[in-house]
Amino acid sequence: MALVGASYSINAEPFKAGGAPGTQTIDGYNALGPQVEQPIEFPHYTHANVMKINCMYCHTYARRSAVSGIPRLDKCIGCHKMIPEVRDRPRIKKLFWYWDNHKSIPWKKVHDLPDFVRFNHERHIQRFYFQDKRPVREVCGYCHGDVANMTTARRVKAISMGWCIDCHKKDHQISAVNLKTTNGPNDCWMCHK
Amino acid sequence: MATEKKPVVDRRDFLKVLGISGAAATLAGCGNTSIESGVEKVQSYVQPEDFVVPGNSVFYASTCTQCQSNCGIMGRVREGRVLKLEGNPNSIISKGKICGLGQASIQVQYNPDRLTTPMIRDGESLVPATWDQAIKVINQGLGKDSQISGDEIIFLTNGVSGHQKVLIDNFLESYNSKNHIAYEALSNRVGETVRENLYGYSNPVQKVKDAKLIVSFGNDFLGSGVSPVFMATQYAQFRKAPRGTLIQIEPRMTLTGGNADRWYPIRPGTEGVFALGLANALVQHPEYDKTVPEELKLALKAYDKYTVGEITGINPDAIGHVVAMMWEKSPTLVLSGATAEGHKQGYQNAYAIELLNVILGNVGKTVTPPTENPFPQMNPINASYQSLVNLDNQLNTKKTKAMLIMGVNPIYTGPSFVDIKNKFKNVSLKIAMVTQLDETAEMCDVVLPLLSPVEEFGTHVASYQPEGIEISIQQPLMEKLHPHTKSFGDVLLVLLKERDPKNYSKYPDYYSYIREAVVKSKPVFKSSMTDDEFWDSALMNGVLHVPPKEAEFTKIKLNTADLPKAENKPLDVNYPFYFVPSIKADLRDGKHANLPWLQESPDPMTTVVWDSWVEIHPKTAEEMQIREGDILEVKSSMGSLMAKAYLFPGIQPNTISIPFGQGHSSYGRYANNRGVNPFKIINPITDEKTGELALFATRVQIIKTGNKEKVVKDEGPTTLQQGRKLVVTMAADQAELSKEV
Repeated sequence: MALVGASYSINAEPFKAGGAPGTQTIDGYNALGPQVEQPIEFPHYTHANVMKINCMYCHTYARRSAVSGIPRLDKCIGCHKMIPEVRDRPRIKKLFWYWDNHKSIPWKKVHDLPDFVRFNHERHIQRFYFQDKRPVREVCGYCHGDVANMTTARRVKAISMGWCIDCHKKDHQISAVNLKTTNGPNDCWMCHK
Repeated sequence: MATEKKPVVDRRDFLKVLGISGAAATLAGCGNTSIESGVEKVQSYVQPEDFVVPGNSVFYASTCTQCQSNCGIMGRVREGRVLKLEGNPNSIISKGKICGLGQASIQVQYNPDRLTTPMIRDGESLVPATWDQAIKVINQGLGKDSQISGDEIIFLTNGVSGHQKVLIDNFLESYNSKNHIAYEALSNRVGETVRENLYGYSNPVQKVKDAKLIVSFGNDFLGSGVSPVFMATQYAQFRKAPRGTLIQIEPRMTLTGGNADRWYPIRPGTEGVFALGLANALVQHPEYDKTVPEELKLALKAYDKYTVGEITGINPDAIGHVVAMMWEKSPTLVLSGATAEGHKQGYQNAYAIELLNVILGNVGKTVTPPTENPFPQMNPINASYQSLVNLDNQLNTKKTKAMLIMGVNPIYTGPSFVDIKNKFKNVSLKIAMVTQLDETAEMCDVVLPLLSPVEEFGTHVASYQPEGIEISIQQPLMEKLHPHTKSFGDVLLVLLKERDPKNYSKYPDYYSYIREAVVKSKPVFKSSMTDDEFWDSALMNGVLHVPPKEAEFTKIKLNTADLPKAENKPLDVNYPFYFVPSIKADLRDGKHANLPWLQESPDPMTTVVWDSWVEIHPKTAEEMQIREGDILEVKSSMGSLMAKAYLFPGIQPNTISIPFGQGHSSYGRYANNRGVNPFKIINPITDEKTGELALFATRVQIIKTGNKEKVVKDEGPTTLQQGRKLVVTMAADQAELSKEV
């Protein structure tokens, strides 16, 4: 298990989790999404903040595929079989109900881009996490906010076209050791193909 | 992924929004309106294979079952859904390619009109039922206590092969019956019978690639032939330098005819006479003279070029041109096809055409024996029109008590003079196994919903085997989409277990039956793998290949008894037009009319979509003052059809054509009430020798209705190449041979 220590960068963008839907976020967009009711109220806070589990331990496909993917159910069970002390909690009971009945959990999408937009997780994780060696909470947090401080995830960034382009226009240092900077691509077909 | 709630904005509303508040709507698009939270579900796998990564595709090999070619295919699967099919490079037949018909099979899977539960008859209508209820009804007639045997049961299918065929035969055996009737409305039985009698093989290998000149009599080998994907790759090789020449002789231009260097429009049914005209001219050459028996040479004398010209309607000099090319370009290959064979003298026509291959010395060069299949029980069953006559005769006796139907729709494809629909009433238990309700299933008592071809296991052996023998493995590309659909094999096994538990209770499902059958074939392939490895490799490769074996033709005997007569048949005054319905490469006999991609893809010769049309030569149209879009009534002695006129220069002037495939009354939203069904006006004429339906021997008259409708087509407003000379053509008899060859 890869754990991230307390190396959370103080330079990272501050995250905002609360507020009513449509509230303006710190980056100036009417962005906040509604609270989404999930079949299991998954505590990101416990896993990513208290337990310090790397986001990519569960969202393992983010570095391999265009989509980050929802963790496979046997991954949840793999750990929780070894943690009998929380087995009687309602959320864990529910989790095991799905497992015993061989059913997948019908999670709701929180960050659902329109079909004409192709966002590639792999490309961003490879660049900012593996190449730039930035902390994982910061890298995922650019778009998803500080999920480690949330229970179920909520959209806190605009994730609109202008917002994407804003970031693509910025100068990003090539790697932790190379001070050169590059921009994100600005071609229409990069995302609309 | 399932949508719980979707904002209802159709295209029209969308345009309205743009129209009313264009600027505001556009600006909103740049803001934050598109991203959704909590609307769609995102479901994870419970316990996937380790190699499954959401967002990344996995490829599985399988077999296309859209036509009898049985191409090997690869299915691209993402998040458990098959999204796209490609050819399987391991397949000898498809060589990694696939045709439009194959691509569209994905729409069989996701068709919104798919049957999702069994249905049983309640009075006049079919009502949804559970599998238990359906099996109970079936077992009441066919269960273990049933006394049905022999010809009292009929299993009606298309030309099935592989273990599907074996299982059907086993099923019938449990009733002491061999009454498996295989029906194909567009069969190649006439040509196959000729080749069987002449060479000893019904499907010898025709080496398109090795020929320098191909003379094809209505054989649409690039479109709707026996193995169009394989033939297209062979044709590409044939056209590489030094470029081979293709001559096509047919009454209505097919896709292959459109590719030809020379295209001769011929009076329908006289193809054999033209072939003998060529043979007569050929034997004048000392080289070919030697190979032909004196008796035949004498008989050929009746086919001089002027007689042939008068009968066939082709300029007499054409014979000289074609024969000169035959002398110059060797080896040649002569092919007979559907429009030459579908006549009263169809057998004789095909015989005369094959005779050219013998005279030209092609036998052993471009026509070679196929490899023998080490598993003859898996060879495809001979499907023909004759089977429909057989079915009709059996239904007439009123002996039939139960009938199982799969893969065929005789009520739609049967000509109107074979009244299968009414005779269905004589059978007390009719069971249809389908993916979607059609005209025949609708008349049945029990309708069982089958898995689609991309959800199903199976093995297939194509009738045309070009290089060795390919046993194609079909495997599910995804889990079944509809929980209450079942595999055809599982249905039969359930019924077989009831009849013969001793032999079949060991198979928990169809998968285990197919697996055992494939693994048992291991010794033939001299494989040193374990059973598991062998099965896995068969699934991974998608094919099991028996290498080609050298063989020789031993049976070639030429006789004069089978030659078509050189006689000029006068036109019927009441029905002055020949009716040559065209076989579309996609819709075929109408089986695929339920797939919108195929309805949408333009006909390669006319670009018309989603409809039926009447092709008529522009000169004939001018004489009759017919314009494009005029609604014509096409009337034969069996009935009439109404469709829009399309002026088409690629047709013999006395001939008109309507494509097969449309005119369904009950085959889902994409097929219903669209166009007309030419099967219904086919005259009751059969090939004298084989009894096959003469599909292209009908005579019709045309009546102008005075109504007009726009023809929906992809080509521009003018048929003359958008007013520009994109491709220059000239009449074949004006071409100078020396420049052309």
